[in-house]
Amino acid sequence: MDANVTPPRPPGVPALAEFTVVEHTADWALQVRGRDFRHLLLSAAWGMNSLLVADLSMIGPVDERYLEVEAFDRESMLVEWLSELAYLAERDRFIACEFTLESVSPEWLQARLRGDIVPALQKHIKAVTYHNLDVILTPDGLAATIVFDV
Amino acid sequence: MVNRSDFKRINDYVFEVPKSYREDMRVPARFYADDSLLAGALDDKSLEQLVNTATLPGIVGYALAMPDIHQGYGFPIGGVIATALPDGIISPGGVGYDINCGVRLLGTHLDVDDIAAHLDDLASALQRNCPSGVGRGGKIRLSSADLDQVLEDGAQWALRQRYATTNDLEHTEEGGRIAGADARKVSARARERGRDQIGTLGAGNHFIEVDVVDEVFDERAADRMGLAPGRVVAQIHCGSRGFGHQVCSDYVKRFHQSVRQYGIQLPDRELVCAPLSSPEGQDYLAAMRAAANYAFCNRQVLTHLIRRSFEEVLAGGVDNHYVYQIYDIAHNMAKIEEHEVDGRRMEVCVHRKGATRAFGPDAPGLPSSYRDIGQPVLVPGSMGTASWVLVGTHGSMRQTFGSTCHGAGRTMSRRQAKREVRGSDLRRDLEAGGIRVRAGSMGGLAEEAPIAYKDVDRVIEVVHNAGIARKVARIVPIAVVKG
Repeated sequence: MDANVTPPRPPGVPALAEFTVVEHTADWALQVRGRDFRHLLLSAAWGMNSLLVADLSMIGPVDERYLEVEAFDRESMLVEWLSELAYLAERDRFIACEFTLESVSPEWLQARLRGDIVPALQKHIKAVTYHNLDVILTPDGLAATIVFDV
Repeated sequence: MVNRSDFKRINDYVFEVPKSYREDMRVPARFYADDSLLAGALDDKSLEQLVNTATLPGIVGYALAMPDIHQGYGFPIGGVIATALPDGIISPGGVGYDINCGVRLLGTHLDVDDIAAHLDDLASALQRNCPSGVGRGGKIRLSSADLDQVLEDGAQWALRQRYATTNDLEHTEEGGRIAGADARKVSARARERGRDQIGTLGAGNHFIEVDVVDEVFDERAADRMGLAPGRVVAQIHCGSRGFGHQVCSDYVKRFHQSVRQYGIQLPDRELVCAPLSSPEGQDYLAAMRAAANYAFCNRQVLTHLIRRSFEEVLAGGVDNHYVYQIYDIAHNMAKIEEHEVDGRRMEVCVHRKGATRAFGPDAPGLPSSYRDIGQPVLVPGSMGTASWVLVGTHGSMRQTFGSTCHGAGRTMSRRQAKREVRGSDLRRDLEAGGIRVRAGSMGGLAEEAPIAYKDVDRVIEVVHNAGIARKVARIVPIAVVKG
């Protein structure tokens, strides 16, 4: 990583989402933060959404998706959760603007998503990687840096 | 972080981090560079990533980095490692998410003056006929049976569908079909993603270019490929699309269990791997080969669409506009090959991630037309700058497991590039320089601005002078199509 950047909050991103875009030579990276694991997952989802769509305020809760995600620890849940959202974006151009996490653990997640189909994505996320991925404890909760292959 | 003082200079173009640098290194790490490229690579974590790959079980010789190295995730981009059979590891991260991302070079019998008046129309036809953009599907939706054939037969499927000629296949690495692919080893999700993306370009740094030969350095090799100053050629840069991305993601997840099962210690989770001899190692090899075949087939169908575009625009106005294939290479792949290590011939699994196979003259598998000159190596530069045609050498076989560079290599983040360059300004500058630009996204165009990359000519000087490839021709773009 070259340097952290603190840009203005992208349009449509709620105040609860805590993330920072981090510079990376070839790819894109996000540092995400949360009071707890549930909050961390939400911050990560909003952070990735902000990479995919410039103005998230245009997206309304007109369509719905339901997700079940299986993983084996917090890092893999973070990767699998974002991978599912990236897949919905690639396949359907579906971007969520409301996330209801009905069950959250490092091994199992159920989520109801409401959002909309967008006309185009500004970025293609090929994959969410495990590169140096570590969910760490901070004085304010949890944090992780996620590198995306683009 | 690796520092300049950690490197020992082996010769003018090779630097080495000795095994003693870190306790967990199993082999030394070698970087092909000049002093300036070495200094540049120290700015990010690419060389630390190179050292990390030197820790992988079963690695032999050296962990290698080409001069276009840049920071990736897990493995650096521009990295090459070889692991010994049967129990050395195979790592999906050592191949990358875009399995068999590669480059195809197409030749024509046209000179630049022949098509000058048609260039705008040609660029538009290429954009219209070759689907591009994020997740965009093409006009072909494969049945399940057809998808199985694409995965196991690669470009041979395209030949049966009349999207290819036998000459195309002869001039493709592995004949456009890598043996040992098994469609049963890929997930339902991967199949779904692959169903409608054959014959599509994608987005990011993928492109189709029309180029003109600027300078020839090796007349014999250039003549063999039909390259002469002023001659029009075309390039395709893309890979296995969402299908390959899913195969990699699936096996990265699965290999986390393997790492625990086999007691493998790793400095970075993205390096997850399994012994080649293990059931999961064999499964990944078969699935990766299926994705490689998908990519060969994808570039083949795009070739068909490029031919159609030339036909649409030039038929009736320009004679002899047939587009023939010069060569097609992979630059994200793991392959079982025989190489000499410490004076002994042995079978190894060569991982090339952002590195090109560069087999020298008389190497097995080369088409008869190139057997005496070496395998063509296709190295695209950054958008708007030169690309290179090289050939593999005996030196690459001795030094780098028959490998060389794959491109210019990034030096600037995509975000930084977007801050420094406006896509619309870049497009205007390229057009002012005589390059037609057709791009789906101005933001995407800005991310690929030439200032975000190393000077490809400098990269080529290193591989040429180090003897791991030989210069044949330099080509420059006259039309660029991007997703």
